[in-house]
Amino acid sequence: MLRDITLGQYFPGESPIHRLDPRTKIIATMIYLLSLFFVNSFAGFGVALIFLAICVKISGVPMKFMLKGLKTIFLIVIFTFLLNVFMTPGTVLWSFGFLRVTREGLYTGVFMVVRLALLIVGSSLLTLATKPISLTDGIEALLRPLQRFGVPAHEVAMMMSIALRFIPTLLDETDKIMKAQMARGADFESGNLLQRAKSLIPLLVPLFISAFRIAVELAMAMEARCYRGGENRTRLHPMAYGKGDRVAAVVLVIYLLILAGLRFIM
Amino acid sequence: MSYTNKEDIIQIDHLLFQYQQEETKETVTAIKDVSFTLKRGSFTAIIGRNGSGKSTLAKNINALLLPTEGTVYVNGYDTRDKDHLWEIRQSAGMVFQNPDNQLVSSIVEDDVAFGPENLGIEPQEIRRRVDEALKKVNMYQHRKRSPHHLSGGQKQRVAIAGVVAMRPECIILDEPTAMLDPKGRAQVMDIIHQLHQEGITIVLITHFMDEAAQADRIIIMDDGDVVLDGTPREVFLHGGKIRQLYLDVPFAVEMAEHLRDAGIDVPEDVIETPELVQYLCGDCVGTAIAAERCAATDTCPDGATDAAATPVVEVKHLRHVFSPGLPFESVALDDVNFTIEKNSFTALIGHTGSGKSTLIQHLNGLLKPTDGSVWIDGENIGDGKVKLRDIRRKVGLVFQYPEYQLFEETVLKDVCYGPLNLGFSQEEAEARAKRAIELVGLDFEEVKDRSPFALSGGQKRRVAIAGVIAMEPEVLILDEPTAGLDPKSHRDILLMIETIKKEGGVTILLVSHNMGDVARLADRVLVMDGGRLWMNGTPHQVFSRAEELSEIGLGLPPATEFMYRLKLAGAPVDTSALTVQDALNAVLEWKRGEGPC
Repeated sequence: MLRDITLGQYFPGESPIHRLDPRTKIIATMIYLLSLFFVNSFAGFGVALIFLAICVKISGVPMKFMLKGLKTIFLIVIFTFLLNVFMTPGTVLWSFGFLRVTREGLYTGVFMVVRLALLIVGSSLLTLATKPISLTDGIEALLRPLQRFGVPAHEVAMMMSIALRFIPTLLDETDKIMKAQMARGADFESGNLLQRAKSLIPLLVPLFISAFRIAVELAMAMEARCYRGGENRTRLHPMAYGKGDRVAAVVLVIYLLILAGLRFIM
Repeated sequence: MSYTNKEDIIQIDHLLFQYQQEETKETVTAIKDVSFTLKRGSFTAIIGRNGSGKSTLAKNINALLLPTEGTVYVNGYDTRDKDHLWEIRQSAGMVFQNPDNQLVSSIVEDDVAFGPENLGIEPQEIRRRVDEALKKVNMYQHRKRSPHHLSGGQKQRVAIAGVVAMRPECIILDEPTAMLDPKGRAQVMDIIHQLHQEGITIVLITHFMDEAAQADRIIIMDDGDVVLDGTPREVFLHGGKIRQLYLDVPFAVEMAEHLRDAGIDVPEDVIETPELVQYLCGDCVGTAIAAERCAATDTCPDGATDAAATPVVEVKHLRHVFSPGLPFESVALDDVNFTIEKNSFTALIGHTGSGKSTLIQHLNGLLKPTDGSVWIDGENIGDGKVKLRDIRRKVGLVFQYPEYQLFEETVLKDVCYGPLNLGFSQEEAEARAKRAIELVGLDFEEVKDRSPFALSGGQKRRVAIAGVIAMEPEVLILDEPTAGLDPKSHRDILLMIETIKKEGGVTILLVSHNMGDVARLADRVLVMDGGRLWMNGTPHQVFSRAEELSEIGLGLPPATEFMYRLKLAGAPVDTSALTVQDALNAVLEWKRGEGPC
């Protein structure tokens, strides 16, 4: 049952977006997300929306996958909307008891919802169109300048990639142990909160032991394969900025200029 | 002594290895005064029971462990020499037992690249080596996949590729096939032979004597010492001594010994079944027709089923579909029908992925049928009236590697977990735990207050099995209970199962890949293939269909295979033998001139 959970949400493809250097994608996504806070008009959001829509189109990831990310935070979006609609003071459009809908409220509500939606879809595009493993490579490369201030860039990236590798293994393990304990009459589903928490001990103890065993064996195997941290390490897929990345940079600058122009005009 | 002979890739001089046990602070000597050398390009098998020091020795060769006394030289470098640590590990690569826990990356090719990346090799060269290594182990077409979608045998081949990509001169494999099914094991052995032919020195640690027999040198270790060292032919001359060390000998060696005892002259250095067949059958072409006639009139009484027997498990039109309606929908079981009689011993065989695990999980309600029904003791367990707790009490299921589910502080508490879940009082649970612990062959007073984690591998497994037996089920299902054990623990567990059946009056369903065990123990065999019940019959009936079995990826018991080979070579023998004793009798009948009928 647990096996069906898919991890990460990478959508395989060979689009120009997929082929961009992960560093470009991470930086571009961060700039895009920041730009959404800089926008203060619907016209601006229109530009941001068109820009994102074009990127999504190029990436070839079906819209369905993009909206999946929205679905999970649907409640938060609704809540944000209602909170803004009812709590913003201003010209009352409509009232019912203590609830007051104001023009400003409606405006801010819609504004916030659009911003949230673009934030989510924008960051989803990064994870959908980048292999998790390249993502960790990208993060490592971007953190590297901070290494001299004591940020363990290589170690963080290695941890992330090992986690990616072993989460499915540990899920399988959990499934196995759960079934084994159920075969011994364990009941993980009924009882009050305390009983349920207690019933998890026979699951968690073996799981932790497994995790430690894996860690010890993996560390040994890595050492046997000459692992000695990030120093002097080369990569099978070295990262290199290409033509696509230069195009992306130019496009991003144009996008930012349009936004700035809009803000200046309005 | 220093490194002397350039012909030797590995030179071990008076190696002593000691470590301190964490709990008791005692000093344990894992290896005492071992000396030997390995020639470049040789293929050496190291065998020995658990705790004999094999793995410790392997880790000393790779500089994962350093000698307490004595010296280990790899390619001329002392393993204590920190300046050459990476050269040592690069030239003596290591493959471990668990295929899952040695792969680092979530993409096959990135994992193979891990070693070369650590060595700081140029990207283009890494690319070349990765492709080359993956092609060598026949995994190139899977290079973009994630290891967790691969079978055990495939993962192990990726692990080997990861070492090959570092261009080692020597590869040490620490029980690389222990956790694999027969197919995966055969594939890995093929790769090992191929690498050996390309000039790589192989050190293979194994529990399987047929694998060891394929090497050109065998070193047998016991209690931290080298006991026997020589070519397989030399080593297996000491059959008696090997058995004293609780190890096995290959089937042909055992058979040849029996034949010699019975007065048939067989040379002493026969170690492989084909050799033995050739020797016995030098002049028997043309006499096979008689045997053919016999086989046709062979009236085995096995086929008849006892009408009075009561079924305890009935499976009717069982079908199970995983993820129905989704793109990755898969039919795991399709129209499976069978019954298991009370107090019978049934074996369930089939290659990995044939639906065995899915099937057994239906028998105690862990999985629900998509279609069809499962009846235990005349009750349909899926009709909603039957409580799952009652089913779990009646049908005990021991999963593969059950020791991984232990969790309590003491053995007694762990074994009591099942009975307590079933609602028994503390006293009753402890009484049951005591009976169960004794039934699995452990001393109750000695182990009850110990931590289950402090026990040996074989003992842990017994405790885990006791945890299911304490529920006193009517049907006990064991999923590969001997997987990964050394020959002694393997035999002990099988004896234990026989005891449980006899003393506990339990119906047994044993899932196994070991056809020899199946032939010896089971009175019925269920064969699964592609989610369907391919055959349901007695061991005689099932193993008489050798060709068809091999088509669905299953082998024969060694004794049956031996008789088949004899018959193929032209000997007028009947091939129904299941055990060494059967085979011996059949050969004696033939050799003494009596007809096989």
